[in-house]
Amino acid sequence: MIKSYIKIAWRNIKGSPLFSSINVLGLTLGLTITTLLFAFVQHENSFNSMFSHKDQIHRVLVETAESYNNKTYATAPAMVAPTSIEEIPEVLDAVRFLKHGFGEAAYISTGSSEFIESSLYYADSSLFKIFDLKLTQGIAKEALTKPNTAIVSKSTANRYFGTDQVIGKIFKVDDRLNIEITGVFDDLPANTTLDANVYVSFATSFFSRQPTWSNSSLETYLLLAEGTNVSALKSKMQTMLDKFVEKDAQWYTLNVQPLNQVHLYSNQIENAYSSRKGSIEQVKSLSWLALLILVIACINYMNLTTARSQKRSREVGVSKTLGASVSNLITRFYAETGLITAISIVFGVLLALLCLPYFNQISGKEIPSSMLWSGTFIVSLIVIWAITTLLAGSYPAIYMSNLSAKKILSGGKIGSFWATRVRKGLVVAQFGASTILIIGVIVIYNQLKYIQEKDLGFNSEQIMAISVNGINEASNVDLLKLELGKLPMVSNAGAAQGYPGKTVSGRMVQNPLEDDGGLAVQTNRIEAKAIELMELNFVAGKNLPEIKAEGDSLVDVVINKKIADYLGYTPEEAIGKPIQMLPSHNSFIVGVVDDFNFASLREPIGAYAFHNYSSERKEYMLVKMSVTDLSQNLMSIENSFKKIAPNVPFDYSFLDKNIEKLYLEEKQTASIGMIFSLLAVFVACLGLFGLAAFTAEQRDKEIGIRKVLGATVTGIVKLLSIDFIKLVAIALIIAFPLAYYIMNNWLQDFAYRITISWHPFVFTAICALGIAMITVSFQAIKAAVSNPIDSLKTE
Amino acid sequence: MTNTLLSLNEATRTVNSGSNKVTLLDNIDLQVKEGEFISLMGPSGSGKSTLLNCIGMLDSFTDGGYTFLGEPVHSMKEKNRSKLYKEYIGFVFQAYHLIDELNVWENIETPLLYKNVKSSERKAMVADMLDRFNIVGKKDLFPQQLSGGQQQLVGIARALIGQPKLILADEPTGNLNSKQSTEIMELFSQLNKEGVTIIQATHSEKNASYGSRIINLLDGKIVSE
Repeated sequence: MIKSYIKIAWRNIKGSPLFSSINVLGLTLGLTITTLLFAFVQHENSFNSMFSHKDQIHRVLVETAESYNNKTYATAPAMVAPTSIEEIPEVLDAVRFLKHGFGEAAYISTGSSEFIESSLYYADSSLFKIFDLKLTQGIAKEALTKPNTAIVSKSTANRYFGTDQVIGKIFKVDDRLNIEITGVFDDLPANTTLDANVYVSFATSFFSRQPTWSNSSLETYLLLAEGTNVSALKSKMQTMLDKFVEKDAQWYTLNVQPLNQVHLYSNQIENAYSSRKGSIEQVKSLSWLALLILVIACINYMNLTTARSQKRSREVGVSKTLGASVSNLITRFYAETGLITAISIVFGVLLALLCLPYFNQISGKEIPSSMLWSGTFIVSLIVIWAITTLLAGSYPAIYMSNLSAKKILSGGKIGSFWATRVRKGLVVAQFGASTILIIGVIVIYNQLKYIQEKDLGFNSEQIMAISVNGINEASNVDLLKLELGKLPMVSNAGAAQGYPGKTVSGRMVQNPLEDDGGLAVQTNRIEAKAIELMELNFVAGKNLPEIKAEGDSLVDVVINKKIADYLGYTPEEAIGKPIQMLPSHNSFIVGVVDDFNFASLREPIGAYAFHNYSSERKEYMLVKMSVTDLSQNLMSIENSFKKIAPNVPFDYSFLDKNIEKLYLEEKQTASIGMIFSLLAVFVACLGLFGLAAFTAEQRDKEIGIRKVLGATVTGIVKLLSIDFIKLVAIALIIAFPLAYYIMNNWLQDFAYRITISWHPFVFTAICALGIAMITVSFQAIKAAVSNPIDSLKTE
Repeated sequence: MTNTLLSLNEATRTVNSGSNKVTLLDNIDLQVKEGEFISLMGPSGSGKSTLLNCIGMLDSFTDGGYTFLGEPVHSMKEKNRSKLYKEYIGFVFQAYHLIDELNVWENIETPLLYKNVKSSERKAMVADMLDRFNIVGKKDLFPQQLSGGQQQLVGIARALIGQPKLILADEPTGNLNSKQSTEIMELFSQLNKEGVTIIQATHSEKNASYGSRIINLLDGKIVSE
C-alpha cells in the first residue's frame, strides 16, 4: 500500500513541476539552513566529549571577591595543582597549561626559517594521562619530563621542517630557548578546547622553578576520582588554601568547572587561553533561528500543498468511495510529504556541504565536512526529516482526509471557514516571524555600527601595533623607534605594554581616606609618544615626560577621570598628588585624561592609568601612520624592522581591527542572521505565492462572473490583492511589539547602546508589503486577464 | 424467493438553507431485492443523486430507517458504515472520477489495496477484470490517454473489482455519446444477469428501459413505479 502511495506522490510531483519545484525549493532552503545551524550546534555541543575521562576532568577557577570586582579567572596559581594532588584525596592528577607569553605569540626559529606560533603551551606530562594524548612518534612516558623538550603536532612538524620525522630536531623560541623535539602527536580535533600546536615541557617554564600561590596564570585541569562531590571538594580546596596561604594574601577562592561546561559556559570567565571559545547564548539564539526557519519552511509547504487541494480533493473523494479510510488517506498524504521532505533533505545536505566553508568563514568555526556524514549526524537528520514530515504534513493530511467525499464529488467548493482561517493564520505567522528576523538583524547591525563609530575617547585609526616581544635588548627597541621615526609615512611611534582593546595589568588603586579595598584599575606601562599618538583628551596636567633620566626613581602616572573621581579630586586637584597603585611608593599624578573606552562597550568605562614604572615589559611598538597607502607603508615599516631585528618575525595588528574583534561574536551572529533572514523572507514569499495561487483558483468562477459583468483587470487585481495585504499588515502589527521587546532585551547587554528608533520598523513594513504585493499581484494579474469562458464552463 | 438487499422506511433528508428547512427526500419507502436493476428517473433537483448518495452511505438520511442486508445503517457508527460499503457497494460516476496519477491497472487495483488483499491475489483479480472488459492492451495508459467510453469502462471495472453486491451509478452515460452509451448499458444488463444488483440515476428513457424497475421521483417523493 505504501508503495502505491509513494507512486501516486511521485507522479504528482512530476505532474506539476512548477509547484513541486517551489515546494522542494522552499523546503530545501529551510533544511539547508537547519542542517548548517544544526551542525554548528552539534559541533559546539560535541566539544571535549572525546576524552575518556571527560566526566572526571574539572578546570580550576579562581574567583575574586567584590573588592577585586568579583571576577572569575580560568587561570590558577602554580602551586594549586601539585598541592591539590597531595592534600586532597579526590584529586587523582592535575595538569597545568601556560600559554607562551601569557597568550602572546612565540617566535620560532628552526635555523633555516622563522615562524610565528600562536599556540605554544607549556604543559605538565600528566597531559598524556588526563587527556589521553597519544604520541605517533616518541615515548609518552619520557616526553615533557625534561626541561627544554617539546612535542609538536604532525601538521606543525610539517610546517616547521617539511617532514614529520622531527624527533631530535631543535628549534629556538623567542631567540632565547633551544628546545628539542621528543615527540609528535596527531593534530588535536577541531572540537576540543585544547588548541595547542606545540607543548613544551612545564619544567622549561619560569613557574616550575618558582611556583607561587599568588601569580595566577596557569590553566589547571584536575582529574577527579569518580563520583567526587564537588561541594565537598570546594571546601577541601579552601582548607588547603587556609593551610598554605595567609588570610591576608588570599585574594581569591578556588572553584572548579566540569570539562563539559568549559567550552560553552565560560563567557564570564577571563584569561582562558584557548582560541576556541563558544557561547551558549550564540548556540541558543542560532538554535531558535534554525527552528524558526524550519517552521517557516513547513508552513510554506502546508500552504502550497493545500493550495492545490481543489485539484487533489477529487482524488481524495474517489479514494473514499473506493473504501479508503481516513487513516489510509492520512498515511497517503504523509507518504507524499515524507517523499518531498526526503528529496529536500538530500538537496539540503548537499547544499549545506557546499556552503559549509562559507559558513565556517562567517561563523569563525572549524566544522569539518566529515561531520555531516557522521553516524550521529545522520541519525539527527532522520529525526529532522521525521519532525519536518510530521509538522509539514500535518495540516494537509488532516485537512484533506477529512473532506467529505460527497461534497467534493458533487463539485461543491471545499474549504470551510476554519480551513481558510488556518491558512491565513499560517501566512500571518510566517510573515510575522520573518518580520521579527529582519528587524532583529537591522537592530544588531545598527548597534554594531554604533559601537564602531562611537567616539571612544581616543583615535584608533591608522595606528599599528608591532609586537617587539621577540627583540631582547631594550636598546634595540629604542633603535627601532628611531628607525621608524625616519620614515616619511610614520608620524609618531612609541613603545607600550599594551593598547586599548587589549588586557594590560590589573592592579588596585588605594584611597588613603577610605577603607574600601580600593578600585580595580588597568595599568599600562607606556612611553609619552604612544599616549600622544592615540590623541587622548587631557583635561588637566600634561603627558608623561618624554625622557627619563637613568636611575630616576620617581614614577609618573597619567590617570583617567574615573580614578580622579574615586580619589575625590577634581582633575586639576589631582595633578601632583601621590597615588598608591604601583609597587613603587614614589608615584605621582602628572596628568588626567577624559574617560575613554579601552574595553568592550558592553561594560561601562573602568579605571585606567598610564605609567612609566619598569614593572612590565613594553611588548608593542605603536606606530601612527600619516599616509593611507597600506601596502607601501607595511613594506617600509617591515624593512626598518628587519634591519634592527632580522631574526624576529614581523607580527603586527591594527588598533581599530583589534577593537572590532571585541564584537566578533555579535558580528558573526548578525552576519549569519542576516543571510538566513533574507532566505526566510524568500521562503515566506514562496508561501504567499502559493496561497495567492490557491485563492485565484478558488475564486476562479467568481472572477469569471465579475468579468462577464464588466469588472476591469485592475479592479480584480485589487480585489484579490487586498486580502493578502491585510494579512501582511496583521503580521506586522503582531510582530512589531515582539521584535521591539526581544531586541530591547538584547541591547541591555551593552552599557552603551542605541535606542531602537522607528526606522527599522518602517523599513521592514515597506519591504514586507512591497514584496507581498509583487508576489500576489503576479497571481492576481494572471487570474484577472484569463478568459472568463474557461472558468465558467467547468460544469 | 430472492433476498431483500436493502429497505428504506420513511427515509427523509432535510438540510438547512439559511433559515429555511429544505426537504430533499421526503418519506421514501423502498425495498430493493437482490438481482434487481432499478432506474431512478426524474427532473433535475428531484432528489435522484441525493437518494443514491444516501443509499451509498456517502450521505445519510436525517430521519427514517435504512436497513442494508438486515443491518440498521441509520444507527451505525461511521467506521462500521464504511466497512459495510467497502465490502458491498461499488460506485460509478458520470465524470468517471478515475485517479489521474494512476494508470488503468493501478486504478482498478486501488479498492483491493484498501481491502488489504494480498499482492498475488490482486494481480490475478485485476488481470481477470482487464480480460473481461477487453482492455488488457490499455493497462499501462493513464486516464487522460483514454476516450470517455474507455474511461467509464475502467470506472465500472474498478467498481466491480471488489465483487460488490450493489452498484450505484449516477448518470453513468451522461458524458458519453450514444454509441458509447449503448455499450455501457449493454454491459450493465449483462452484469445484472450475472447477479449484480444495480441502481442507476438517469435522465434518459432509453437507458431507463434497460432496468427491471423504474422509479420516478419528483421533489423528493416517489411519484410512481
